[in-house]
Amino acid sequence: MNYFTESLLAAFSLITSLDANIYRIVLTSVSISITATLIAALLAIPAGVAMALNTFTGKASLQHLLNTLMSMPTVVIGLLLYGLFSRLGPLGNWGLLYTPTAVIIAEAILIFPIMMNLTIAAVNSADPRLVPTLISLGARPYTLTVHVIRATRYAILAALVTGFGRAIGEVGAAMMLGGNIQGFTRTMTTAIALETSKGEFELGLALGMLLLIIAFALNFALSWLNKS
Amino acid sequence: MTSAYELSDITLEQQKKIILDIPQLTIESGQCLALLGENGAGKTSLINLLAFTSRANHGSIRLFNQVVPSKLKPSQRRRIGLVHQQPFLLPGTVADNIRLALSLQGVKRSQIPELTKQALVQVNLIDLADQLASTLSGGELKRVAIARAIAYQPDILLLDEPFSHLDHRHIQLLEDSINQFARQTGKTVIFSTHDRFQAQALANATINLVAGKITAAPLLNHYHGKLDQHFFNTGKMMIHVTSELTNARHLAVDPREIIVSPQPLESSMRNSFSGRLILIAEEGHAIRLTIECAERFHVIISPEALSSLNLSLGDTIWLSFKSTAVTVF
Repeated sequence: MNYFTESLLAAFSLITSLDANIYRIVLTSVSISITATLIAALLAIPAGVAMALNTFTGKASLQHLLNTLMSMPTVVIGLLLYGLFSRLGPLGNWGLLYTPTAVIIAEAILIFPIMMNLTIAAVNSADPRLVPTLISLGARPYTLTVHVIRATRYAILAALVTGFGRAIGEVGAAMMLGGNIQGFTRTMTTAIALETSKGEFELGLALGMLLLIIAFALNFALSWLNKS
Repeated sequence: MTSAYELSDITLEQQKKIILDIPQLTIESGQCLALLGENGAGKTSLINLLAFTSRANHGSIRLFNQVVPSKLKPSQRRRIGLVHQQPFLLPGTVADNIRLALSLQGVKRSQIPELTKQALVQVNLIDLADQLASTLSGGELKRVAIARAIAYQPDILLLDEPFSHLDHRHIQLLEDSINQFARQTGKTVIFSTHDRFQAQALANATINLVAGKITAAPLLNHYHGKLDQHFFNTGKMMIHVTSELTNARHLAVDPREIIVSPQPLESSMRNSFSGRLILIAEEGHAIRLTIECAERFHVIISPEALSSLNLSLGDTIWLSFKSTAVTVF
């Protein structure tokens, strides 16, 4: 018990003393996650709106595929991308392995189906009169998409927040593709795994607390958005 | 007179059920037309087809003598204003909604403020321009929806059940707004309603819809049933008909072709029933009698006929009509 309490206090002091090492890790983690979220959002939101608004052959199968991808283990994505980016892989000469770009790509792929699915749900839960009204007023595919996104923006923002939350908490692919290189690809989750295995429990705990604070802030933002 | 719409061989099916079946229909421009029918008759489906917000499974619709491609051209879309039964206003103010419609229709930015004001003046709601759409009453909401639909000056205004769930005062205000649009030269108004009196009050022509089919028969005496030899069985009574349309499921009797008498008539008329007079009502310049036989019948007679018959509520009277006064479909 003493060990735990002492570690907890040490973790607190690491956070409050604004330890540069810790904040570099947090910054890397947040910047990688934000970039991955923005890239995934740029693709997933229009794709989700388009899928929700249109009827086409294979729509149900695509929905099943998205649902499956939502629960795909992160290490599987890490494994596939490792195969592509490793020196002997087809994209080996791009030199992406063990770079933040590789982690961003992995996290974007990981959260794309989640964000697309949540966007589809957001559009489907909008007032059923929204789309017929916009069409009758003369909206064409592009303007229709823009106005549907605008009308469902809070639910779509919730998709964004959820995607970010998933990205920042990801560990498997970040470890495999980032390599946990200090000051470069070391994220909060990979650092926690490493520091704990090294016996540096307080550093892991400090990062864990910061991760929890970020998760709490995200959930708070999400419930505030839902209320809006 | 040019035709606003020409419909040919239209069939609309939903879940293997025929919703609309219209072999031929021409709607001339410049008129105020009512689509009259019961709930589920296909009024909303027809309005949506005319607005090109949904497509028929078969057949074609020409708009102002032009073939409409699979997607309506922007210039064609701009000729049609649609007001749904329960209009949806987007978040923002009343004026925001009208501005949105104008910008979606590609109206020049410089013209938007003037057209927004003009539309709100037309529905007498200029004072509500800056009010949030979410705070409007049901009647105001419908008038704003009309303002939004006419802001870009379409040639056709389609309204789906515009008067439902409104009190008398709001119906009057809505009628004024619709009339104001209809009075402009060449403008066509098509509205759906289940209220025959509303249709008569506002429209100068009526289309009767029964189970997705257009019928010329007035819908006052309309019964469901099936044809058996020369009789139509409504389940409660047998009515003699001349039609041999074996798959007919509906029958209508023209209320002006029914003869009322205190005693049974000796005539060649094949249909004669007795019933109790339960309602005498004024309807325009005529009198409507409602008689409870096995089925309820409505009869239209002149005020002179009413005074000569000397009828009182509760009297037992006789109804007689020829088989030719009956339409089956």
